[in-house]
Amino acid sequence: MNGISTAPPGILDAPFPPELYAPGSSLRDEAILPDGGIAPAWSEFFESYHRHGAGVMKEWREVALRISRDRGLAYRPDRGEGPHWSIDPVPWIFSPEEWAALENGVAQLLRLYSAILADLYGPQTLLDRGVVPASLVLGHRGYLRALHDCPPGDRMIGLGLTAFDLARGPGGRAHMLNARFDCPYGFGVALENRTVVNRVLPNLFRRCQVRRIGYFFNDWFDYLAERAPALRDGERQPRIVILDSDPGNERSEIGFLANYCGITRVVPSDLTVRGAKVSLKTLSGLKPVHVIWKTTHGRDLDPLEANWRRAAEGVPGIFEALREGSVAVASHPGAEVLQSPGLFPFLAPICRELLGEELLLPPVATWWCGDPAAKRHVLDKLPHMVVKSVGHHSDFHTCYGQRLSSKERAELAARIEAQPGRFVGQEELQISTVPTSQEGGLVPRGAVLRSFSFLDSKGGPHVMPGGLGRVGTAGGFIVSTRESGESKDIWVRSHALEAPISIERRLEPSQAISPEVVPSRRGENLYWAGRYGERTDSIARFASRLVVGRTSGFSYGRAIEARHEEALVEALFHVLEAEEWLAESSLPDERLALVLAHSECPVGVGPNLDHFHRACMAAREEWSLTSILAIESAHGRWSAGTPEVFDPLYRYEPELQNLALHLAAFHGLNLDSMTRDEAWALLDAGCRIERMSLLAGLLAHLLAVEEAGPMGTLLNESVLFVSDSLGTYQSKFHSIPTTGLTLKLLLGEEDYPRSLRYLLDRLANVLQKLGAPAFNPHPTDRVASIQADLGAFLVLLDSGLAFDGSLRQAALVFLESVRQRLNELHDYLTTSYFSHAGYHG
Amino acid sequence: MSIARYRIQHRTAYHYSGRIDLCHSLAHLRPREDEGQETLAHRIEVTPEPKVRAQRTDCFGNTTNYFSIEQSHDFLEVVATTTVERPDAPAVLPPSRTAWDRLGIGCQGKDATGVRLANYLLPTPAFPAFSAVADFLRPSLAPGRETMELIDEVMGRIHGEFRYVPGATDTGTPLETVMERREGVCQDFAHVMIASLRSVGIPARYVSGYLETLPPPGQKKLQGADASHAWVEAWTPATGWVGFDPTNNLHPAGRHVKLAHGRDYFDVQPLKGIFLGTGTQALLVQVDVERM
Repeated sequence: MNGISTAPPGILDAPFPPELYAPGSSLRDEAILPDGGIAPAWSEFFESYHRHGAGVMKEWREVALRISRDRGLAYRPDRGEGPHWSIDPVPWIFSPEEWAALENGVAQLLRLYSAILADLYGPQTLLDRGVVPASLVLGHRGYLRALHDCPPGDRMIGLGLTAFDLARGPGGRAHMLNARFDCPYGFGVALENRTVVNRVLPNLFRRCQVRRIGYFFNDWFDYLAERAPALRDGERQPRIVILDSDPGNERSEIGFLANYCGITRVVPSDLTVRGAKVSLKTLSGLKPVHVIWKTTHGRDLDPLEANWRRAAEGVPGIFEALREGSVAVASHPGAEVLQSPGLFPFLAPICRELLGEELLLPPVATWWCGDPAAKRHVLDKLPHMVVKSVGHHSDFHTCYGQRLSSKERAELAARIEAQPGRFVGQEELQISTVPTSQEGGLVPRGAVLRSFSFLDSKGGPHVMPGGLGRVGTAGGFIVSTRESGESKDIWVRSHALEAPISIERRLEPSQAISPEVVPSRRGENLYWAGRYGERTDSIARFASRLVVGRTSGFSYGRAIEARHEEALVEALFHVLEAEEWLAESSLPDERLALVLAHSECPVGVGPNLDHFHRACMAAREEWSLTSILAIESAHGRWSAGTPEVFDPLYRYEPELQNLALHLAAFHGLNLDSMTRDEAWALLDAGCRIERMSLLAGLLAHLLAVEEAGPMGTLLNESVLFVSDSLGTYQSKFHSIPTTGLTLKLLLGEEDYPRSLRYLLDRLANVLQKLGAPAFNPHPTDRVASIQADLGAFLVLLDSGLAFDGSLRQAALVFLESVRQRLNELHDYLTTSYFSHAGYHG
Repeated sequence: MSIARYRIQHRTAYHYSGRIDLCHSLAHLRPREDEGQETLAHRIEVTPEPKVRAQRTDCFGNTTNYFSIEQSHDFLEVVATTTVERPDAPAVLPPSRTAWDRLGIGCQGKDATGVRLANYLLPTPAFPAFSAVADFLRPSLAPGRETMELIDEVMGRIHGEFRYVPGATDTGTPLETVMERREGVCQDFAHVMIASLRSVGIPARYVSGYLETLPPPGQKKLQGADASHAWVEAWTPATGWVGFDPTNNLHPAGRHVKLAHGRDYFDVQPLKGIFLGTGTQALLVQVDVERM
């Protein structure tokens, strides 16, 4: 089966039943021809759909949702805010011929914009000859005067990865709607969509001979490696990093990309410029960086050289490193100026001027209001115009003329009249529709194709055979990242079968672009993942104990159990240093609600789970897919399932158990699959420091409360329960819990993973994995001193003295000092390995 | 033509409460050498010793100096010492021979040095909207008025209607606030004037430099009594660039020494630094302009 022009057997030849898919009559559809026939590229798809019936859409959507959720896609750390993508499992399919035409157009646009960039940061002949109005360039916020003498060339990269948004109008002609050079969104989403849709529709994918996008990614990484400056003495291979603005925003797709290609994801604060060279702060010191693939705005890159009053986060001094040629940055930081829609009316003349060619893929019809005739046209046709800023310094947001009231339109017109040069009007293109899935079947939706491309070192264009499809909402033709929900995989069919290339493939070890290092910030997040994971786990056990006390009781009688609950709650708030919350709610029910259902209280299950989830997601490169599943399941179920009122209480019991189970699975998976490197050391250290700190705090609090009798016994039992040691105690001592024996077990027991002794041994052990910080002693020294004190205290505890006043006092002093020194160790790790303060101190 | 020769010392010192491990700085401290001004000697001393120093020319033709300090420090001092000569003739205001509302200067033109006028006609982040100055400017906009006369009146009105209050503003104060309070320092007055002129299509640029101050008669001049100064230059086809000092309501001549010019303060900030470390900083700036 090699061709698609003649339909292979089994493909429907009868007219397609309109009840399965009926595009609107007024708009062009990508899959159904004007005569009602199916476009050849779509025939296998409709055959399969026809065979399964409309009901299959529900199933496809569910499978896609499940796969994407398991991969951590549908959830984001800041859930509920801003856009997040969901996947339509129905692809947007192109024939080889349709695609070839688009590909040529995209390749030409790429060459064109590359030439414009070289001119604007070089001789500026376009401005001299009046081909482009100077104000469009010099007034644009992305035109970087600091780089006026840094044209693209051997040292400076020009265009890096580029995105063009394409759509077809009613006549069938494709237009370019947007050009994105600075930090195009969606590259990682395209990769994820392909992975997901390929798994939802594996047979169809094969039968359609869909072209692979993996080759494009590999070519891109090869290009980045090629652009590395000459290596310095002692450097074996270039280090490439992907620069993200911040790990918690909508662009978490960067994490997927970094994972895919095995390069290090960094944020600006991970990088530092010393000696006019860029370095990465890592757990093992400063490491040279040679190539930066940035997904942040170029104008925010170097706050030292920005004409900008707000101190934006960036990498101070990086422009000096660029001028020195010690680092390559893709794209050119000043490329944002090319994104101005103000350039659209001039693209065709520029194309003739610079390339001597006619424009193949024209931009959507655009009028720059700086030209008086164009301004009149825009004002006359305002209800049919999309008005956009040309990218000067302003807070103007795109306006759709048809959505405005007549009053708003008059205001807009006045604004344009006041500063015409700052605005363009664009024709609102009636874009073509694409079959899009809904629960009950297929519906037509306006769609835009985001195409990705780059120019290689020899100037040869590479266009991804695929991309990101984005669909609008019902009844609207407006498709934007901000407003649309659904995205599509793009299938480009081929006449010949391509050799498969696994989308999950990391580079071969021999090709590995950068030796794996752990950036300090990721290390810090791992450390916090360890701490918050452990804290959540402990709080969940506290909560279980409290819930069981309320629902079934401990047969100690009402009065004692009420006091016990109060003491336990107070202990929890004390240990987590949240006493001020306690002062605000005095009723037992209120206090219980703080733990179980509050969204901000520092002893609440939810907030700690949120912190844990956020820290994990900021270090997602470290986790296996199964670990991500465990993290997402733990977090997703709790956040979705918490009832507003905590009544009936018994409903919490299975939820808390489920949470504990998922957290245990997470720990188990890590134990089983993580390399025992620095990253592991910090995760494990965080976990152990937290466990010890909670244990010491809890024991100290209970010693201070000094309860005896049944109340004392019940509290000891609870301490053992929240330390997950009740069973061990009972099988070891066969007695009701006494304070002395409880301390003996939880502090001094050898080879018991819950005892302080064991935890300290493990901590000392795991910290060995970290290299010594530059000018400070190794952190294991600090652990050793706690170990020595513990040894001395255990001698006292085992001396046979009755556990009374003086021994109790000694225990209290010891436990407080343990907590104090764990806090110091925490500060020490933070300054030595995360902030690199004291490096020169 | 008589010549004025100055020895200028510009000292900037930072004291930090904590240790600073890394500091990147950018300086515009070397006087321009054009329009008859000549630099005879110039050096910038930095303590502690920078790891990297680099000098280049920015897109407006100013000399900029980059340096990075990569050793732990709690004190940073930058001393620029310059000997400079400039013509000392009294200023003459040349006529523009055109009414302000008939200038028709487009963004496409360039000045005599080849720098595009669009730079000096467009908004910048410091004044993104010219509307802030519209009400202030309106009374001066008599149709058909000669351009230089209009500019002179704007300068005089800023001098008359705004109070000079050191410390009333900082470099982050928005233009709107300055307009509302009608007070500020020389940077603010320069920004008000620039926004006003640009709003009616007259190219205007920000000039950073020094002004020789004269002690009261019979008294000796105090050390460190001078300060950095800022004024404005405006352009018309017939005149080229002409200087206006709204803080003092005069046309700069021999007593104004020019360091650098750009679109606004942020293009030519004398010294800018970004450091890594914690704690607070205390800043001390001392300028001495001594006629030789």
